Amino acid sequence: MAKVLVVDDAAFMRMMLKSILVKGGHEVVGEAENGAVAVDQYAALKPDLVTMDITMPVMEGIEAVKKIVSSDPAAKIIMCSAMGQQGMIVQAIQAGARDFIVKPFQEERVLESIQKLVG
Amino acid sequence: MNLSSENQALIDSLVASIRQVVPQTVTPGEAHPVEDAVALNDIGVMVGITGDFHGQVVLQGGDAAFGQLGASMFGMPLDGEMLHSFVGELGNMVAGNAATLVAGIGKRIDITPPAVMRGQLQLYGFEQGFRIPLTLDPGGELNLIVKINDQGVA
Ligand SMILES: [Mg+2]
Repeated sequence: MAKVLVVDDAAFMRMMLKSILVKGGHEVVGEAENGAVAVDQYAALKPDLVTMDITMPVMEGIEAVKKIVSSDPAAKIIMCSAMGQQGMIVQAIQAGARDFIVKPFQEERVLESIQKLVG
Repeated sequence: MNLSSENQALIDSLVASIRQVVPQTVTPGEAHPVEDAVALNDIGVMVGITGDFHGQVVLQGGDAAFGQLGASMFGMPLDGEMLHSFVGELGNMVAGNAATLVAGIGKRIDITPPAVMRGQLQLYGFEQGFRIPLTLDPGGELNLIVKINDQGVA
């Protein structure tokens, strides 16, 4: 079971991810609607894992990954974005994300990714 | 219809993206030029495009059509704020997957967070844009409205 911080600007997507995570036996310890809130929440909550959207207002997801990873190089972040082109995946991985899930996604894909990272 | 092959490629990518994102059968109709303000009712979502193309994409439809889409994609009926949020995310997924498709022809685009519009309103600035009606089976009708700005023109 992992303590997860869910980051997405769409309340709908946070609700979807939350229901998938809870079904998979994980605990959602926090939610953030943009990258800036995510950086603060990460520092405050120290989650085992983060799901991170890219296209968000205020601070987009790749910027947030860089900030989180610079303060905690061991941070486990899974990107969860509709922007699935190769260039974007490479940027995210270079920023320190561990996996990249393209929306719309299958429930199993999300849980498998978490399983791989937190065992 | 006065559409460059590059702009046609973007519109084709948007339609192809909708077909990928939406589980229903999607049949696009003829593209119509937009000559006046676009009259919206019910719900619409607008996403801005930057990069190798500049413009706006709007997906518009009724509560029932979007509600059915949400139910078929995520297994739950949606209304109120959650329906609005779903429609915003649908716009994000359609534009995001279109960005991946145009990357396949060597074009790079970025997208803005979605803006969701509700109720009756007139949308100006879409002249010279195109409206493509989409029939979803099962589901109903959506409209894809695309405005691509000419680049290099102030
Ligand atoms: Mg987003």
